[in-house]
This record gives sequence, structure tokens and C-alpha cells, in this order.
Amino acid sequence: MSTTHKVSTYCYQCVNGPDMLTVEVTDGVATTVAPNFAAKGYHPADGKVCVKPYGLVQKIYNPNRLLKPLKRTNPKKGRNEDPGWVEIEWEEALDTIATRLNAIRATSLVDEQGYPRVAFTTGGAATPYFYMGTFASFLAAWGPVDQSLGAGGTVKCYHTEHVYGELWHRAFTVCPDTPRCEYIVSFGNNIDASGGVTSVRRHADARARGIKRVQIEPHLSITGASASEWLPIRPKTDPAFLYAMLHVLLHERAIAELDVAFLKQRTGSPYLVGPNGFFMRDPVSRKPLMWDLTSSRAVVFDTPGIDPALQGEFIIAGIEVGADEQVWEHASVPASTALEVTRRMVEPHTPEWAAAICDIPASTIRRIAGEFLEHARIGETIEFEGRTLPFRPVAVMLGKGVNNGWGAYECVWARTMLMILVGGLEVPGGLLGSTVHISGMDFDRMGSVAPHPDGFLDYPFNPTDKEHWASQPQVRHGHTTLIPIIGGGLTSQLMGSTVLSWMRLQGRAADSWGKPKPPDLWFVYRCNPNISFSETDKMGETMATFPFTVAFSYTQDETNHFADLVLPEAIDLESTQLIRLGGTHYFEQFWDSQGWVLRQPVVKPQGEARDFTWISTELAKRTGLLEAYNTMINMGAAGLPLKTEQYDFSLDVGKAHSVDETWDAVCRAASADVTDGVASDGLDYFKEKGFRVKPFPKINWYLYPRMEDLGLRFELPYQERVLRIGKELAARLHEQGVTWWDRQLHEYEPLPTWKDLNKLWSDAYERAYGIKAKDYPFWLLTARSMQYAWGGNVSLQMIREVAANVAGHDGIMINARVAEDMGIEQGDRIEVTSPVGVTTGRALLRQGVRPDTIVMVGQFGHWKTPYAKDLDMPSLNNLVPMNMDLVDGTGSAVDAVLVKIKKIRS
Amino acid sequence: MTRYVMVADLNRCVGCQTCTAACRHTNATPPGVQWRKVLDIEMGEYPNVDRLFMPVGCQHCSDPPCMEVCPSTATGQRKDGIVTIDYDICIGCSYCAVACPYQARYKVEEARFAYGDTPTENEAIRFDAGRIGVAQKCTFCADRVDAGLAMGLTPGVDPDATPACANACIANALTFGDLEDPNSKVSELLTENTWFRMHEELGTDPGFFYLWNEK
Amino acid sequence: MINEKFARFGTVHQTSWDGRAAGNFICGGAGAALLAIAVLTSWPTAPDWRLLVLALALIGAGLAFVWTEIGRPWRAFNVLFHPQTSWMTREAFVAGLIAVLVFATIATGMAATAYAAALAGLLFLYCQGRILRAAKGIPAWREPSIVRLIVSTGLVEGLALLILADLAIGAARPNMPAALLLLAVLRFGTWWRYRSRMLGSDAPRSTRTTLAVVHRALLAGTALPVLACGAAIAVPGAAAAGSAVAALSALGAGWYFKYLLITRAAQVQGYALGNKLRRGHPLAAQR
Repeated sequence: MSTTHKVSTYCYQCVNGPDMLTVEVTDGVATTVAPNFAAKGYHPADGKVCVKPYGLVQKIYNPNRLLKPLKRTNPKKGRNEDPGWVEIEWEEALDTIATRLNAIRATSLVDEQGYPRVAFTTGGAATPYFYMGTFASFLAAWGPVDQSLGAGGTVKCYHTEHVYGELWHRAFTVCPDTPRCEYIVSFGNNIDASGGVTSVRRHADARARGIKRVQIEPHLSITGASASEWLPIRPKTDPAFLYAMLHVLLHERAIAELDVAFLKQRTGSPYLVGPNGFFMRDPVSRKPLMWDLTSSRAVVFDTPGIDPALQGEFIIAGIEVGADEQVWEHASVPASTALEVTRRMVEPHTPEWAAAICDIPASTIRRIAGEFLEHARIGETIEFEGRTLPFRPVAVMLGKGVNNGWGAYECVWARTMLMILVGGLEVPGGLLGSTVHISGMDFDRMGSVAPHPDGFLDYPFNPTDKEHWASQPQVRHGHTTLIPIIGGGLTSQLMGSTVLSWMRLQGRAADSWGKPKPPDLWFVYRCNPNISFSETDKMGETMATFPFTVAFSYTQDETNHFADLVLPEAIDLESTQLIRLGGTHYFEQFWDSQGWVLRQPVVKPQGEARDFTWISTELAKRTGLLEAYNTMINMGAAGLPLKTEQYDFSLDVGKAHSVDETWDAVCRAASADVTDGVASDGLDYFKEKGFRVKPFPKINWYLYPRMEDLGLRFELPYQERVLRIGKELAARLHEQGVTWWDRQLHEYEPLPTWKDLNKLWSDAYERAYGIKAKDYPFWLLTARSMQYAWGGNVSLQMIREVAANVAGHDGIMINARVAEDMGIEQGDRIEVTSPVGVTTGRALLRQGVRPDTIVMVGQFGHWKTPYAKDLDMPSLNNLVPMNMDLVDGTGSAVDAVLVKIKKIRS
Repeated sequence: MTRYVMVADLNRCVGCQTCTAACRHTNATPPGVQWRKVLDIEMGEYPNVDRLFMPVGCQHCSDPPCMEVCPSTATGQRKDGIVTIDYDICIGCSYCAVACPYQARYKVEEARFAYGDTPTENEAIRFDAGRIGVAQKCTFCADRVDAGLAMGLTPGVDPDATPACANACIANALTFGDLEDPNSKVSELLTENTWFRMHEELGTDPGFFYLWNEK
Repeated sequence: MINEKFARFGTVHQTSWDGRAAGNFICGGAGAALLAIAVLTSWPTAPDWRLLVLALALIGAGLAFVWTEIGRPWRAFNVLFHPQTSWMTREAFVAGLIAVLVFATIATGMAATAYAAALAGLLFLYCQGRILRAAKGIPAWREPSIVRLIVSTGLVEGLALLILADLAIGAARPNMPAALLLLAVLRFGTWWRYRSRMLGSDAPRSTRTTLAVVHRALLAGTALPVLACGAAIAVPGAAAAGSAVAALSALGAGWYFKYLLITRAAQVQGYALGNKLRRGHPLAAQR
């Protein structure tokens, strides 16, 4: 008699989770994935999951899966070397690692150069943390771990938005208040492919409601498909469009048409800028000054009852405080408002100027700016949770391709400026942040709000003063040394310049710091940097130099080809973990509940795959770290503290605990967490129910009420702190003789000036590769594959099959007319060459792509991963140069590249 | 009277293929057999281009050409409009496949699996030899509908009585229900929106409606 | 990639029926027509039994081709379950009827059963035309003029086979070339009609390309018989050779046409957006 039952679990294969699902199991075999309809009413998308988890059943039973630990027998590493894998027992595998770790511990945790001897790399915007059980507790118990060897982060993320968004409005990620928004200007934001289930649902609902979205992007994306209008902009010219919109609002419209009240009370627009570029301040209190129109004099910004001037230049007295406490005392100097300085900067950036750059008519740019302003409904309010708030149903969104590398600062600044000009930042209908990572804990955005003496949000910049600056890099990309804005918190390492780490390991960057040694032991988990990063062929050569690599892997792949041990962990539907759920986070995740959700084994792990918590505990045991490891779990490294004033479910630190014991304790703490200490149900409860939540106050979807309560201002338009920090950082680096970061230091401008990015790229290529840029007439861009992104699922037939229904999954998208001119027909093989690499693929003739652009969807180019290597799908990654000239001030680069193409004659 | 139909809102669909995958799971179809799938369509010429996504599959016509031509009576039609195939009668002549103007029908000659000749465990446990060599297509998850009705549930409202694709759709683009019921969600959608049906000129009276607001 | 908003797209070639299905239209059509024409031309007596056997064998071969193509050959008799609407069922019944009548004729030598068999042959041919016409998913098949085209093509093939058979047994009959000439021209007329209809439709490029090939073949398959028949009629010494050339070319062209019609001209309907946006409940008018 056959029996079937359903098991609930979660999917966190992208940052826009977790989403809940159920898996039907028949006679011990997982068969069918379905939404978890019990989550309806809690989950903003009614408990549904996207296409990716439908690959998870096949993921369990994939015959290409690794099911036993593997040991390398060929000491020579290289792409063309056979690793000589032999199967070993877990005992041997764990002992081997422990022996290495114990040897490191016996020597020193950091090497002679000061870098951690142990490194850990994962991908997927750190979503693997939600699959690796208690491994984070093990790493915390271990001590310094280098996480600077990125797998794609800062090149393939919304990096500039992460850092400046968080600085300005606690918006590590940004999205419209979609359920209320009426007009979105989207610069390549591919939300329908990258925003997860909730984003798709909220935007579909918004379209049904009649939202208008203008999609400005070189290639008509999935999201562009559902837009009201597609404007095919020339790649890398988005800042010009945005600056022209600012020009229209600041020069062609009266200031009175903007949200004057918002600008005066909630922004730094009225702050007066002195002749040295710093705010004019009161000599005693050092508070920034504003010009009070009522009393016609300069007063400190928080003087009650004043009417600050937004525009104009005033002759005033005061001090400026520059870098390293340099103070200028002014008895009488002209000082302009920050908004006035901004107006001056954007004056030349007319729509006519932008038209030629962007290849978009000036009238269109002017129209979009006008529509944006008209839809903003300036002056209107809305009742929300018993509070009257401004209602500004407009938003400007940025895609990933304009959000990192040079030009991204301009884009993020200009779009946030547009939002404050209409008072649409952090109010219903407008543009919202959803989570923080630098200034606080990701699940408690409101808790991160703290006032700065200048009236803005406080922000934990890494120190740049002489005394406190981290002169010695702590990890290989020196994030605390080089990039003040990413802070020094738990996740800051992941935001450092990962390009710099790899280039340093290749001896290609930061020469004055010397070439770092590779880590003695490198853990790689749930990622494949040798596919997902840039210049991957070269990266493989670097990996081959690493003395000992331990890869936790699902199949053989292009990264673990260079590993010494490959370990099979129990995958998504085979393992246990409890994680946070709800609140606000990432894209469009605005819940009215908050709590915890369990991942549990739907079926027994296949073969000898082991739960990551078991692996972590075993490693802790064998390295003498059991007590520290358990202590970390007790302190909250597995999700939340196991002991508070309200409850105590802490683990006995002297004992090794089973997977279930460990998570039972976490579950109990979670039950207490959501019931104010009343409940203490453990693992069994969550196994049955799947999740447990408490209400989350909806007013916390918006930062504005909190800013209003605290009398705080959004730190825009003028970036005085950035200017000061930049000068200090330059001084510190120059004192050390570091000049190789000078180009990056140029970005520390108080108002980002427009740069010709196409020229910047061409010049950089010509300098570095001795080529003529005009020989590389196409921009090669990538676009998100919802089916594949972050899923680690390239070896799944199921995913391949359904993804093939979406254009771009079987070739290189090229404008049909251009192809015709070049004699390229549908399906012809074409060769794409950048200054650093070459690849081939089938031509996919499309109308929805600019003539100067070609597109490769997703990340492929596999040569080792079973199944994936036979897909004949090219990847742009190997063609994208790692080049310090293309790394911006916050350490990021973009995965776009200039290329040439030709048809391959068969 | 009841007539079950599907309404696909083209303004909502983002072509994610979640329905495609959900259908393959629920109906255990072999690789390449997509009773439900979503087309990625491009119209116009650069720079005046439209792209849209269109879910397709059996349209459960009230005058189904597949049923008319079927020589074995394997293709039938239920009182509730669902067009069915009796795998035990079908001779696998594929006449229905060429008669269907919606390319909804598949015939798999030999057992095929995701990774070659050997089924994975989940494929093995759900393998149905009865489907080899015969016509197959979307059933509107008739077994789910029937099981749900037996439990007193309402198709199109209760997930346990609703086709897997509509359940899975993350954009709420697919809505299933009874066209004859003026209060059903499908009736509501069709009353309040503009819609079309595919190849209506062929006189098949399809039970698949597309909501669309032309830009 | 499509350019027009409401154009059909995804009009790929059908893969449901292959050369084996074409075999049924080739052999079955020719056999059925041979049966009919053989009976007609031997009026009022029953034709040579060998001709009857040849016709039946051809029909049988056609059905055998189909039998190898169906997914469940051991359920083949289920084909008989749906005479109410399915032309495939009807074709099968008629095939059975033909077999019975042919055997009866051979056994009894009765002319009446031969007449009936001939009528059944014509009906079989008509069934084949209707089978294609009912295939709504294939625009090149569902075109209504396909029926006349299939029937006329079959008749040409049947007569051509008869001429060849006569020649083989050294019993060539006069008037046959003239009749072939007439039928070939008639066939070309039905082709012309079909082709104009197809070219006037939104048939995809692949269909058009195939139609062009067929057109050349049928043009040749008409012109050659006309010339050869003319020669056969006008030049007494060339009668046999002329007839043979005429019959072979007419037969070849017809078979080639059918093969291409099934295997290459048959693009599926594809998909399309509806060009008629409507508002209001679909059943509102009935309520």
C-alpha cells in the first residue's frame, strides 16, 4: 500500500525569500513541489514559490550528484589535470581537515602578512548562510576568517545602492512602495526576473491597478516586457538621463513645484556650503548652519521655528571643518545652500545634452521628468496605521548593471535626489529601503536608526582618522582600510572589493602591499566562483595555487576541480535549519508578520550526504572548539540567542549535540521569541506547522515616520561626510605610499560629477590591453535568468527545460537588423571577443535589443559541471576584465564589457 | 451546467515558467512534455517592440477538433467541458495532434527520463507505462478537480480542487473556474476586462481566455 | 521573431506524422483509385483479378504504413470506434469493405460486387481527402480544396497505374492516354486552385517554399504526360513508350506531391494573439 504525505519547508535560493513550500513524498520518495497554502494570509504572495524550487526534487535524485567524500590524489592542479578523485569515508575527510586546522591553530590564525589562514567563500548574496546550518557558528568560534575571495559579489550585486542606500535611508536594498506606487522610472531594474515571488506578485497587482512603468534599458528584459514604455538607452549612459531629469526639475520647473516642505525639513538641502566645500558651522556647537528667511540670518539647523532658504548664496560667518580636524574660520564668506550647489552642478545637463549621449530624444527625457513630477502628487497625504503621512506614488529604480562600477554613485545619488525633490523618499507610494546590513541587524531596520549630530542618520563609516584608521588590511581586500562606507561589521567583508582580492593573489594589484599568500585552507560552499566571477580562466589558474581547498559541493564543478577535498552536504530538501521570516527585507518583502520558518529533511539524505550542522559540530569537536562553537550557538550565531532574560534553552557547551538537539533548542527560543516568552515549542512543532510568526507593525515599512519622530534629515543632496572621509583616506593612503587607489579616491565627491563612462571604458581598455576601442563596437551585457539565478541548479534537466522557454537561454541575443547586415542568421554560431577572452554561441536574432548591444543571459560557460557542460551556453564572465581602473571608489565593478563579434564559418 | 475554463492574464504573466514546472511535477510528464508552458513573444521591429508572455496548452474547446477526428473515441469531453484522453483506448495515431490548432498534444513513443535511459527515483515511482505511445495533454488537472469536488471544495477557489498551474502561478495570471457561474472569479475577470481567445476563427470555442490590455 | 502583431508565430513543421503517414496517402490513394478506374474501364464486366489484387495490396500497404506509425499497434482495431465523426474510422471501415468486396468479386466473378468495390474505392479516396481537411491544426491540410486535390491526384495515379499494368501484361488499351491527359490537366486545375488559396493565406515561408517545389513537380507531372500522351496518340509507333512515360511521370509527380504535403508542407497552425479584443462576459448574450 503506497503512502503519500506532505512536508513543509522553505526555499531561500535567492535573497527574496524565504518562501514556503510543501513537498509531496510517496513511499519515501519526494515527488511534487507545491506552494504552502497554509502561509496564505502571512506570506505576501500567499505561500507560493517561484520556478526554482521545482528543480529541488530532481536535485535530490540527480545521478550526477556527489554522494561520498572525495579526495584528490593528483597533487598537480590545473584545468587539464585529472584530480584523480577517490572516494573516502567522512572520518578520513574530517580528520584531514581537522589536522590542517589544528596545524594552523598551533602556528597562528593569521599569516606573516596578517591575513587569515582560513578563508571561506560562498555566493548567492550570502543566501547559503541559510543552508549551512551551524557552520557560521563554527567559523565564529574559529576566529579570523577571510571572506574576501568573492564569488561574484560587488560585481554582480546592487553594490552602490547597498552602501549609499544604507547611508541615506537605511536602504541596503531599495524598491518602490509597489502596492501604492503609480509611476516608476526604471533604469534596467529587472524586478520580474530578480525580485522573487513577492515582487512578481506585487508588480502584477500594480499593473492590474494601472501602474505606469517606463523601462529604460538597452535590452528589452522580462521586466521591460510588462512596462508601459521601453526606452532603449545606450549602455552606461544612465547617469546622463538621470541628470537631465534633475535639470528639468531644478531648472525648468519652479522650486515651488517641488516638495518644498520635505526639502526644508527632511533633507540637507538648506545646509550652507562654505568655500572649501564643507558645511558652514556654528563655531561653538559645530552644528551646520542654514539661512533663516524669517530672520534673514544664518542659524544652526535645528533652531526651532525657522524657515530655511533652499536656494541662494548668503554672506555669513562660521567655520568649516575639513579632513583631519582642519578648521577654517570665516568672518564673512559667501555660502550657498546645498540645493543651490546642486542646481549649479546640473545646470549644463539639459535634456538636449543628454539626448545625444543616451540616444533618447530630449523631448522624451523632458516628458518622463514631467510625468514623474506630475504623478508625485506633491502635497497629498495618506492615512496609514493611524498616522498622516505624505503620499508620493512615484519611484525611480535602478538595475544591477547601473548599480555597480563607475557611474553607479551618480545613478544612485541622482535617483535618490529625484525622490527627495518630490518628497517621495520613505513615504507611502514612494521609494523605500527594506533592510540594513552595515548599520544594524538585517531583521531590525528601525533599530538601526540613530541620530548623527549634523541632523542626519548616523552611520558606522570605518574610521579614516590617523589614530583609528585600519592601516593594516585585515583580509586580502583590505575592506576596512580602503572602503570606509562598507563599515566593519559581520557582513562588511562581503562588500569589499572582491576584484582586488583576486587581482592581488594574481600579483596584478596593490603592488605596494605585496602579493598576498593564498589561504592555507579555503572552504568553498554552494558557489562556483570559477564560473560566476570575471576572467574565469585566469581565476582557475589562481585557484590552482591554493594549497588546500575544501569544497562542499553538489556535483563536480569548475571550482572544486581545483579542490583537495570535495564533501557532499545534505541539500535543500534533506537538511535542517530554522531561519527568520517576514518583517521587511530585500526586494519588495514587506510583511505584516515576522517570525521563523523551518527547513527540514523532506527525505533522508542520499548516499553519505551529511547535514551541515553535523559537519560543523564534527569539525568543532575535532579542532577542540566545541565549547566555543556551542557558546556561539548559545549567543545567537544559529539565528537567535538561546538564552535571554525571558528564556533559557542554551546548549550544554561541553557536549557535542545532534542536529535535532541543536535545532530543537533554536526552535524553542524562536517559539519564545514570537510569543513574548509564552511558548517553548521545539523542532516537532515547526516540523508539523512549518513556521511561526508574530505581527510586524506596518508603519515600519516606512522610515519617514521614524525620521520625523527623531527630527532627522536624509543626508542629501550634499555629501560632506563623503568629501571629508575621502580626503582623510587619501591622506592615510598617501602617508603609506599607496597611490594605486588614487583613481578610486576621485569618487569621494560631495556631489558626483558626470563622467563619460563609454570613454572611461574605452580609455581603460586602450591603456591596459593595447587595443583600439573602436574595434570593440558592442557592449556585451548580461540579464538575469530567474530560472537559474543563485539556484546552483545548472545540472538540473528540469530547470534547463523550462528555462529554454524563455528567450536568451539558447544563445546570444543580437539585434536582428545588425545580424542581417553582418550576414548572421538565426542559430548561426558567432564568436564574441573582448580584450581578455573569447567565447562562442548561437545567434539569437531579436528586435528587443539595441544595435550596439548583445546579451548573454545568466552565467554559463561550464566545462566540468555534469549536464551543464553540454548546454552549449556561453558566458560573459570570462570576457569581463578584472581591471583596477574599472573598480570604483566603493570597490565594485560591473559585469559589462566591450566586445567584437564575428560569424564563424562552418 | 458547468464549464471549466482558464483565464490567463497577459498583463500579469512574466513568463517565469513556474506553471510549466508545477504542471510537470503534478502530472509527472516526461522531459520535454509540457502540458502547460509559457511562450515568450516579441512583436514589432526595433525600436518599437513589444514583448509578452503567453501561457498555452489544451484550450478545452467546447467543439474540440481533436475529439472529432479521434478514431478510437479515446478523446472525450466531460459534462463540465474538460476534454479528456482515455489512455487505455488511444491507439496513438496522432490524428488528434494534427487536428489540434493549439499544439497541445504530445505523444511519447518510448520511456524517456531526465538523465538518460534510467529513471531517477522520483521518475521511477511515478512512471506510467500506460502513457507510452498514446496521446497526452493538459487535463485541467481533472483528477484534482474531482477529488476537490468530492471533498466539497470549489475548483478555482480551493487549491485542492484547482489545477496545479493556477495554484502555482506567482503573478496570479492564471485563474481557473466555472464560466457558467456568474459569480466565479473567471466570470468576474471576463466581465471586467478585455479579452480574446486564440484562433477563434477556427470555430473551436476554446475554454481558454486571454486578458489583455493593448498598450 | 514576428513583426506583425496578430500574425501567427511558432508555425513549425508538424512532427506527428512522417513518411509512413505519407505512405498511406500515396499507396492507399493510388490503390483505391486504381480499383475504381479498373472497374470503370472494364465495364460492364469485372476487371482482371490481378488488378483488383494490386489495388487491394496498395491499400493494404498504405494501412500497414500507418500501422507502423501508431503508438499502440495492438489496439489498431480501436480505430473503428468512432464512425460518427472521424474520417479515419470511416476510411478504415471503407478499407474493410473494399477488402470484402474485392475478395467477393474474385471469388464469384460477379460484376456487381466489383461495381460496389469501385464505389468504395472512390469513397476511400474521398475519406483520405477529408482526413486531411479535418486536421485543423495544419493549415496546409485543412484547406477545403485539399479534398478535390487528393481525389484528383488519386485518380491520376490510379489511371497511371492501370496504364502501366496494361503495358506490363501487353494489353494496352486505346483512349487511356487521352483519359490520363484529361485527368492530369484536371489534377493541375485542382492544384492551381489549392495553391492559389494557400498562397493567398498567411502560410509561413517553409510552406511556401515546399509549395513551390510541388508546383514545379506537378507542372512537370502535367506537362510531361501531356506531351507524352500527345505523342502516344499522334505517333502510332510511340504509343507504348509515350503511355509509359506519361503514366510514370504523372504517377511520380503525384506521389512526390503527397510525400511533400505530409512531410514538408505541413506547418502547424502556431499561436497568435486574438485580433478581436472583447469586453463583457462571454455568455452574456445567452443570458
